[in-house]
Amino acid sequence: MASPPETARPQAPGVHPRPFWSVAPASDRQAGDAVVSNFALHWFPAKALKDSLAWRYSLWLGTISAALLLLLTLSGLPLLFLHVPSVERAYGSVKDIEYVVTFGYWIRSVHRFAAHFMVAAVFLHLARVFLTGAYKNGSGGNQHREWNWVIGVGMLLVTLFLSFTGYLLPWDQLAYWAVTVGTNIASAVPVVGARIRELLLGGRTIDQPTLIRFYALHVVVLPGALAALFAYHMWRIRKDGGLASADRASAPTASVEVPAGASKTYTLLGIARGTGPTIRASSVEARDTTVNSVPDLTRRAAIVVLGTVAFVAILSVFVHSPLEEPASALVTPNPAKAPWYFLWLQEIVTDTTIRIGSFTVNGAFVGGVLLPGLLVALMVAWPWLDRSPAAAAGRWFPRTRRTQNLVFLLLVLLVLALTFVGTFCRGPYWRLYWPWQAWPDLPTRI
Amino acid sequence: MSDKPDKPKDRREFLVRAGIGAGLVALGTQALASLRSLVPNVSYDSPTTVKLGPPGEFPDGMKFLPDQRLFVFREGTVFHAISAVCTHLGCTVRAEALSQVETRTVEGSPLKVTHRFLCPCHGSRYTGDGENVAGPAPRPLAWYHLSVAADDGQLVVDLARPVPRSFRLAVA
Repeated sequence: MASPPETARPQAPGVHPRPFWSVAPASDRQAGDAVVSNFALHWFPAKALKDSLAWRYSLWLGTISAALLLLLTLSGLPLLFLHVPSVERAYGSVKDIEYVVTFGYWIRSVHRFAAHFMVAAVFLHLARVFLTGAYKNGSGGNQHREWNWVIGVGMLLVTLFLSFTGYLLPWDQLAYWAVTVGTNIASAVPVVGARIRELLLGGRTIDQPTLIRFYALHVVVLPGALAALFAYHMWRIRKDGGLASADRASAPTASVEVPAGASKTYTLLGIARGTGPTIRASSVEARDTTVNSVPDLTRRAAIVVLGTVAFVAILSVFVHSPLEEPASALVTPNPAKAPWYFLWLQEIVTDTTIRIGSFTVNGAFVGGVLLPGLLVALMVAWPWLDRSPAAAAGRWFPRTRRTQNLVFLLLVLLVLALTFVGTFCRGPYWRLYWPWQAWPDLPTRI
Repeated sequence: MSDKPDKPKDRREFLVRAGIGAGLVALGTQALASLRSLVPNVSYDSPTTVKLGPPGEFPDGMKFLPDQRLFVFREGTVFHAISAVCTHLGCTVRAEALSQVETRTVEGSPLKVTHRFLCPCHGSRYTGDGENVAGPAPRPLAWYHLSVAADDGQLVVDLARPVPRSFRLAVA
């Protein structure tokens, strides 16, 4: 078929002529095009405020979390082919991954380290957002950053549940007793508890239906949920006018008259609804406060992502992942410890059985359901309870939010202290020992 | 639809709302049906009534049966069984022999107490009769019903039938 001459063909609007972007754009026009017309970059703004890119403000913890999620997805793929989700064969298949499969131990370690670091990174990201009041709406109209905070809390919970479902899959002792304790906590929920437990286990005892349920949750349901929340999280950041620190940088007080540009054919891709500050051309496009996203934003994002990948990949070469004995309903390990990020919960379920006269409330309910539930509810509701001025948004430790930041840090400190006690000070029968104290020699089996 | 405060203004609006409503109801029902499919209708769990072996083969004192997570105690011809499932969060407790045997009165009946029970998960402690004395355990360990099988005389435990702590099975 004869094609019409090149010039006569109508151009598809806004599709970048090059498959990737120009790493070193020759002009602002090219830099803008590199973002707006490019599939890989279209979710970035064409221009970014220098303040949003500052290392010291965001610490790039969200990007690190996303990089870890990417790494988890990629390292999960080969594991998906190698792991057999059956109670007879799961342990053997993980043992094969560890000791037989070429590079298997490395892939498993990457997956495990990325998971551990992701719990930490997502939590630190949440702490950063809290301490900088970044869930607060700044000077822009129609911002709803509080909802992105709620989404973020949801993503932290999904991350934790992904970790929980993940460490069950080797079907070793850690897995078996974690399911036992975890699902018994679920059954401590009043009225519907027993039903929830049965739904999670696929029966009344831990068996094949349990493993396949947690497997499906781990490889399909939860990653899917996280992907959807992640996409919405990113979209909301753009719709709320970028990072909270951008509000300040682009506040009208900082506005500088910009001389009319010679060829200003681009603008921000995403525009805050109403009169968000980010669309005030006077500051957002001021040359001293903004940079082109390509290459300034892409360069830093690449440094963070590649740095995270390199760190985890190299660490995983040297540190192998543990595998406990095969799951056995016959013997509970002594002590039976949850992974570090659940140890503070293990501590509080230990300490919260309440006795009033002959009336007893199980710590499984108080420490496993009530307190964590209250904590999550408080976190979710906090943006509506925080009455500090809008000017406190996007700053580290503003004076007006000193009390709430202190309370938050105290709670974090408490959780860390409980984690420390659980990790280093608990020995056989969950008794307290100093970290340097030797544990008594107890028979491992009865 | 009809009980909404803002009445549909005309037939077209009513039909639009009815359509959207029907769609939502259909989606909701299908979601519930999918969720219901995950609730098991048949239990493949191991049976709760288990033959444990001839009573004569049990040693005097305590025997731990890991498969049933059960301690069986024998004192001459008298048997009783205590669950090894911690009442806090379901870990298997471990028995620790006492340095000296003591006799206690438990719910009116004398009981020779030879062990105590400790949970490795959260540190609950129980006395030899299953009474919770320390740690987060909210209830005593369960005692289960024992009987002798009519056909072959084996000891039978019913793990679905808790009994008071005065329960004893005397085997002739």
